[in-house]
Amino acid sequence: MNTAALTIGESHEGNVCVVTLSGRVDSTNANDLMARLKALISSGEKSIVVDCGAVLYLTSAAFRALLVATDEAERNAAKFVLCSLGGHVRELFEMGGFLDVFSIYSSRAEAVAKLA
Amino acid sequence: MTRPPNLAYSVDEVPPFGILIVSAIQHVALMAITLIFPLILAREANLSEAQVLDVVSLSMLGLGVATVFFCIRSHFIGSGYLSPAAYTAIYFGPSLFALRRGGLELVYGMTVTAGIIQIGVAPLLRRFRALLPSEIAGLVIAIVGLSLASLGVSYSLGIDNGQSIKPEYVLVAGVSLATMCILNIWTKGYGKMFCVLIGIAIGYIASYATGILNFTAIFAATGAQVIRLPHLDHIGWSFDAYLLAPFVVAALAATLRVMGDISNAQRLNDADWVRPNFASLVGGVSANGFAMIFCGLVGSFGINSYSSSIGLSGATGVTSRSVGYAVGVGFAILAVFPSAAAIFAAMPPPVMGAALFFTAAFVLTSGLQMITARMLDARKNVVIGFSFAMAVVADIYHNALTAVPVVLQPIFGNSLVLGTVCAVVLNLITRIGVRQRVSIELASGSINREAVEQFLSDNGARWAARRDVINRATFGVVQLLEVLGDPPDGVEVEASFDEFNLDLCVRYAGVPLEILEKKPTPREIMASEHGERLLAGYLLRQSADRISSRQIGDSAEVTLHYDH
Repeated sequence: MNTAALTIGESHEGNVCVVTLSGRVDSTNANDLMARLKALISSGEKSIVVDCGAVLYLTSAAFRALLVATDEAERNAAKFVLCSLGGHVRELFEMGGFLDVFSIYSSRAEAVAKLA
Repeated sequence: MTRPPNLAYSVDEVPPFGILIVSAIQHVALMAITLIFPLILAREANLSEAQVLDVVSLSMLGLGVATVFFCIRSHFIGSGYLSPAAYTAIYFGPSLFALRRGGLELVYGMTVTAGIIQIGVAPLLRRFRALLPSEIAGLVIAIVGLSLASLGVSYSLGIDNGQSIKPEYVLVAGVSLATMCILNIWTKGYGKMFCVLIGIAIGYIASYATGILNFTAIFAATGAQVIRLPHLDHIGWSFDAYLLAPFVVAALAATLRVMGDISNAQRLNDADWVRPNFASLVGGVSANGFAMIFCGLVGSFGINSYSSSIGLSGATGVTSRSVGYAVGVGFAILAVFPSAAAIFAAMPPPVMGAALFFTAAFVLTSGLQMITARMLDARKNVVIGFSFAMAVVADIYHNALTAVPVVLQPIFGNSLVLGTVCAVVLNLITRIGVRQRVSIELASGSINREAVEQFLSDNGARWAARRDVINRATFGVVQLLEVLGDPPDGVEVEASFDEFNLDLCVRYAGVPLEILEKKPTPREIMASEHGERLLAGYLLRQSADRISSRQIGDSAEVTLHYDH
């Protein structure tokens, strides 16, 4: 497992906002992620895809951040989905029983097409 | 499980009816070769011709029932893989000894006893898995391959009991073996799939042409009956404690062979195979035990899984479990047709030899692949090298080694048993000092998660530990450090590893960690950071194979265990 701090990228594909995560998501940076996602939702974004393809691993703090963002999106009638969960990251979602809690797509293209 | 691309029909796939039937016939023909053991025992018992035919018919029924037992996929019995049965040389020696000491009754009684022993051993396999690693299973398979090849050469050349080579046998075996090889190497589809059956058929024709096969004599023995239910009047059961030792050793050797064969069947069906699935192995060994009891009760002999059939399924690419069920039905039908029993029982020796020698090649190479699937260090070199050499020695100096006391004869008189016992004992001895232990201390105020990741990653590479296990362990420790925060006296992380276990012990000043069984709801997780801690505890429990927490004086200790 390589070590890397979290970087958060942001881009638009049509009317869909794509947030790209890269590195570790843990208690040292989960609040930053939560704040960033909340800000996007409150700014009026109605379709948000979080691309987890470059995430190395995440801990309970990261799951909490994503749950809070999902809840926030529902309150604001926005669509919030995840995509590209890699092998170990997908195992962690499965371990925590989160595969049914979040809307998850296998690729970014599929997620964007669904929300566009 | 990743389906290997070279398979025509994998374990869960059902071939079309025609292919299913012909594949089953091919296995039936190969398995029928092992009826030689019941035949020899029946002749040694001085049974009448009709009773010998009964023994062959009941032994066919035993092959069918045992094959179904081996192939069933359930929690209690069966491996779930195509694993046909066969009468085996492992039980032949003890059975012959029992026959001379107490007659057929004692053979049948001890066969049932050995079955009960195997059923008793089956649930313990997982506990003793460190003593039975996959390279030893591979060694068992390789030795079996070598034994089959040796037996195949003996039949092919007609050199049993020190006789000179019979040219007509060499001709028949050569034609039969060449047919199998040509079809297997240079053809595809049906030719490759049914190469052994076609080779056997060609061998029968060549045997008839050279006068080795005499159909008149065969059918005279069966009488005029088309359908005949086997009689059970030669059956009885008795027990002799004196014979317990040889039958226990034989039961353990048969258990190891089942483990090797089922592991091989698993490997054939999974391109990503790394180690045996123990639930399947336990089911396979239980199946062997129940099959032994069945055979003992109906008047047949010691039965085992059949490495040649696994080799055949690997050579043809048809590993469907359904073929095993068809084999079971086939043998049950053949058991009431005396002429069918006679045809199989009279398979010409050079044809048997060609089929055994051909499949031995695939069995031997499968065993070698299993042995070398993992890095061989000095310890494994000694275990595998010495044991393989002892197995060969047992065959070369067979007469000298059988002069040992009777109790030890089952070990020294059989290359498979000697090689296996040698490997298990050497493995047990050389495991001394195999566990490795390292630790790292993280000072208070600077709990460095990246240092922990690097520590586990570096040591995992040094131990050649599985990447997925190290990833889970790293997640576990990082998640635990998140929950612990920054304890006043820092944190010590100790990791100990052997081939089968990775244990992590995290020590800190404070109270023991509360580890929840119940998963918190999304609402509870979102409500506060306490919800996040509940989730952390739940994830820790889920990520480790075992977790425990305890207080030691002013400190606390959390232990995470991962099966490797």
